[in-house]
Amino acid sequence: MLEIKNIHKSFGKNEILKGVDLKIDKGDVVVILGPSGSGKTTLLRCINFLERADQGSASFGEVTVDLKTASKKEVLAIRKKTAFVFQNYSLFNNKTALENVAEGLIIGRKVLKHDAYEISKKALDKVGLSEKYDSYPIQLSGGQQQRVGIARAVALNPDIILFDEPTSALDPELVGEVLQVMKEIAKEGTTMLVVTHEMGFAKDVANKVIFMDGGNIVEEGTPHEIFITPKEDRTRRFLRRVLPGEYDFEI
Amino acid sequence: MDSSFLNMEFLIDTFFVALSGVPVALLVTVVAMAIALPVGFFLALTRINEIPVLNWFTKIYVSFVRGTPIIIQIFVLYSVIPLILSGIFEKYHIDYPVYDINPLWYAFIIFSFNTAAILVEVFRSALKTVSQGQLEAAYSVGLTSSQAYRRIIIPQMLVTALPNLCTATINLIKATSLGYAISLQEITLKAKVAANVGYNYLEAYIDIFIVYMILCMTVEYLFKLFEKRLSRYKYTTA
Repeated sequence: MLEIKNIHKSFGKNEILKGVDLKIDKGDVVVILGPSGSGKTTLLRCINFLERADQGSASFGEVTVDLKTASKKEVLAIRKKTAFVFQNYSLFNNKTALENVAEGLIIGRKVLKHDAYEISKKALDKVGLSEKYDSYPIQLSGGQQQRVGIARAVALNPDIILFDEPTSALDPELVGEVLQVMKEIAKEGTTMLVVTHEMGFAKDVANKVIFMDGGNIVEEGTPHEIFITPKEDRTRRFLRRVLPGEYDFEI
Repeated sequence: MDSSFLNMEFLIDTFFVALSGVPVALLVTVVAMAIALPVGFFLALTRINEIPVLNWFTKIYVSFVRGTPIIIQIFVLYSVIPLILSGIFEKYHIDYPVYDINPLWYAFIIFSFNTAAILVEVFRSALKTVSQGQLEAAYSVGLTSSQAYRRIIIPQMLVTALPNLCTATINLIKATSLGYAISLQEITLKAKVAANVGYNYLEAYIDIFIVYMILCMTVEYLFKLFEKRLSRYKYTTA
């Protein structure tokens, strides 16, 4: 359904992505792991044209676009097939929760106002915010804001939702509610590409795990393959450091 | 000579003379703002997005306007514009007396030129307060740049810019008093002309003072109302 080929991206002299290939099928929940600076977020942002790649192509079903030279029209077309959940929620602060979710439907996709609000209410219900339709972002907790962010993505009914470290900016006690929502929409068959540091989510929900380092995909496979029987030494070292209970340093 | 310190009759009469200059002062303010708002906003965008050439041009323009007194800008433009115009008119054989142009037109040009530069900085700082993330989020849900700016960025930017816009507007109203230098029929000039007859300058100045104060306080109040309305999303409580 989504196929990324040979994506390269540098910021100045710093090469962030060094030719990444990626294939995602409909209904897949793909989790990307890796140390910071490994290019995970940049990969996601290039797919949605929030950054311009230096090279590479993306195919959504029949449609193939060049990630470097895509026209404004192509960019808009791809963005309409995708949705993005941001690390810092990035809700529209001047709009209520309901308006936040409906904005992309009404303006971006030209859905009738009445229908858009119906869809948006359902999306907010799904993330457990039926009581908060008319709240402004400033009135919501971080976890609630991020759930609005997820509702905003879900309401668009995109081919794929891209999650960029959706729980990294949250207080630890609020992480659970967001992961729970993500788990539920994954169960409904939503195709998801998730950058996260939540190993539990990767183990339980993903059907494919990708380990990135230094701008390359080091290893990919099922959660079992990556977490239990990793082949690459680099993967093993990373997991040893992030998985709890197996400290390899002394205090 | 009148025994009292102030000539009350003249004070009251001249108040209405000064008041009759308000429409011109307001007209210049409104026209200058109408031109300066979009121009200032556009130039602020060239600064923020570091558009080659234009960014550089805007920087120089802003420094020039901020670094020179308005009265000198008025004198320079008032001398330069007729020169340029007469050159153009001569070239295209337009028979129009350049020096008969209504000073109102000069006032429009001079005060737009001046205010646009001030607004560049007002908008530039206000735009920076709206997080880049919201623009990206707008793109990600399928909005175009102009839709994102119109619906998400500008409404929030305006809230931050409003206090400074209010200051700029009030400064502009007060600056129109310099229009007397080009014989603009505004508040200051009218009152001073009335005072010339009997040397009642103090009364005239008091009248001018009061008229500007009423004008500016009204504008300040209107801005406050507008700000309250625009910033609803910021202060609502759960």
